[in-house]
Amino acid sequence: MTQDELFAKIQAQFPKIEKAANPVKDYLTIRLPSKGDLLSVSLWLKNNGFDYLDMLTGTDYLGPVDMKGYIRQQNFNVFLPDGATPEIESAANPAYAYKPVIDLLWSFVSIREKARVIVKLELPRDAASVPSLAGLFKAADWQERETFDLLGVTYEGHPNLTKILTPDFLQGHPLRKDYAHVKDRFDE
Amino acid sequence: MNNATAAPIDNETVGGVQTDQMFINMGPQHPSTHGVLRIGLTVEGEVIVKAIPDIGYLHRGTEKLAEVRNFHHCVVLTDRWDYVSAMPNNLVFCLSAEKLMGLKIPPRADALRVIMCELNRVASHLLFFGTYGIDTGAFTPFLYAFREREMVLDLFEMLCGARLTYNYIRLGGVMIDTTPEWLTRLKEFVEYFKPRLDEYDTLLSFNPIFMARTKNVGCLTAAEAVNWGLSGPNLRASGVDYDVRKHDPYCGYENYAFEVPLGENGSCWDRYFCRVREMRQSIKIIEQALSKLPEGPTMAMGVAKIPKPAPGEAYAHVEASRGELGIYLVSDGGISPFRMHVRAPSFVNLAMLQEKLVGMKVADVIAVLGSIDIVLGEVDR
Amino acid sequence: MILEKLPGITGRLPGGELVLTTADYLIDLGRRQSMWPMTFGLACCAIEMMASYASRLDFDRMGVIPRASPRQADVMIVAGTVCKKMADPILEIYHQMPEPRFVISMGSCANCGGPYYDSYSVVKGVDRIVPVDVYIAGCPPRPEALQYAIVKLQEKIRRMSLAKGLATPQQEKGSRDVNA
Repeated sequence: MTQDELFAKIQAQFPKIEKAANPVKDYLTIRLPSKGDLLSVSLWLKNNGFDYLDMLTGTDYLGPVDMKGYIRQQNFNVFLPDGATPEIESAANPAYAYKPVIDLLWSFVSIREKARVIVKLELPRDAASVPSLAGLFKAADWQERETFDLLGVTYEGHPNLTKILTPDFLQGHPLRKDYAHVKDRFDE
Repeated sequence: MNNATAAPIDNETVGGVQTDQMFINMGPQHPSTHGVLRIGLTVEGEVIVKAIPDIGYLHRGTEKLAEVRNFHHCVVLTDRWDYVSAMPNNLVFCLSAEKLMGLKIPPRADALRVIMCELNRVASHLLFFGTYGIDTGAFTPFLYAFREREMVLDLFEMLCGARLTYNYIRLGGVMIDTTPEWLTRLKEFVEYFKPRLDEYDTLLSFNPIFMARTKNVGCLTAAEAVNWGLSGPNLRASGVDYDVRKHDPYCGYENYAFEVPLGENGSCWDRYFCRVREMRQSIKIIEQALSKLPEGPTMAMGVAKIPKPAPGEAYAHVEASRGELGIYLVSDGGISPFRMHVRAPSFVNLAMLQEKLVGMKVADVIAVLGSIDIVLGEVDR
Repeated sequence: MILEKLPGITGRLPGGELVLTTADYLIDLGRRQSMWPMTFGLACCAIEMMASYASRLDFDRMGVIPRASPRQADVMIVAGTVCKKMADPILEIYHQMPEPRFVISMGSCANCGGPYYDSYSVVKGVDRIVPVDVYIAGCPPRPEALQYAIVKLQEKIRRMSLAKGLATPQQEKGSRDVNA
């Protein structure tokens, strides 16, 4: 089925869902109005052929990344004189609308009908908490742990929401844009 | 720590042996875990009661590093995820970035990309074949597999200078065009390789000991496999027909005729045999691509030295050797990606171990782990 | 233990130095011609290490057989990125190896952090944790480079002598002294 047919079916069931303003290129992207809709939408998608949860992630839209999250000197280009202005690789783009939100993303695939739906949900950075899909889709188990570890999003109802990738002594959530690295015993 | 109860010896104790649970740590340094993976096994006798995979021993933080590298530098980082087959990693990042930028790739570059990815799939499955043999106790197939794998790596080295981390597929096309001599060598390799696949079948696939170790071990139904989010040969071995090359074709795959091998009951042997049959299909694709290789440029025009795509988001996925590898890119108009997320197949495939291993014997852990064919670079990124 | 006391015993005998040099030669010959590395592949360099054990570049012709257990190994080839979570296991395994033990750091991630030089979870070089004898550059280095590194280590072992105690040259002078 085409993207428009699919969107018509979804809207018939959930009238408040609308297409996302910045869609992921070539795929149907819908935006959930609130986190309470997540479980019902996922259950409906699972029962209607979209039973393959492909990807689960999030993005922090606070601003350009803080260079304090990286272990490097300001100017490590040896040909620059001392005191030269720092070369910042990621400078702010004035035209882009940064906002203090975390944008979560789920990608559901229907294998039989060769279709994909991408579901997005915006959450405030300080209160980033959503219901967990680990009961419906076991594929969400480790991916939710990874998003919790790297971005600090809490998934309510997850059986084992602990760190999975970063070492135990690492403080903070590395993929957040304001992550500042705390020196540990392996750094100089 | 000492169990100080001394039970009197009578019929009841002799009949019902008192057992205790033991915690065994498998890894992170272990000859069979294919890298630095740690599985904490709680066993009762020989049967596993609880299995907790512990990853993160190779977590290098590439998703964060990508936010300060420009797009061409990110391609270098991509090689090192699935380091056994690095071409699809480059390809998926380039596809995603090209979607963001709206680039159109010349047909010769597309055909060369297909040839490289399929050749790399052959090399990767050869390594799987060799190491799975070692895991289950057969050392000889490893030497045979590496003999052929070295030939494939020779071809890659002749073309782009590197044996393992190629950085060959770049934004806009491929790095350098092939020479007529290279194409002749590739044709010779394809002719040499086809009878070898039958040789591997006699070595390992229908070996009674191998089949006894893998035939009914670790079975997954199709519904379970889909729920766990498996992809690649792991999913197809359970009978689910999902191959990204057929489902959502890229790089002109719709023009090549090939089959997708499916398995029956998702056992370790099915997963192994799917990969062996996939090697045959890859050779078929390479032959077709070679016969209809179009002429023309190998790099699109208009790729900036420091690309700055317009703000937007894109998702591209390929059928890598281990499963469905996807990259989600967000750009804010700057020189680096604003966010890059890697949907790594081995990471998602590995999660099913925590449920599947319960109730198995310790020796089966190696058979199941080997059959999922993980690469820790992808699991930990 | 006998080897440690040998310089003291032979020092008092007339011509004792000559005995030591032959003993040195024999001990170093035994050590260098049968180096048994521990299979310690961490990342991509491990694949090149496996390729050097395999059919085309057979490592067995130099007496090198991979041993899985650190208790039976002579040399630890750290092949791949050393992450902070893995640093403690590396140190434990290094201490489990019996002396004399050597470390080869393979690839640029193990030398200095490599392409991940500014990552929050990578140790910038394994020589921050264990003393290293030979560094191999490359990303990944060719299997022939690994075999040359073993040859270089064999030359280093040839220069070990009982008079200087049984320490390896690197353990005396530290990792970064190239003249050791």
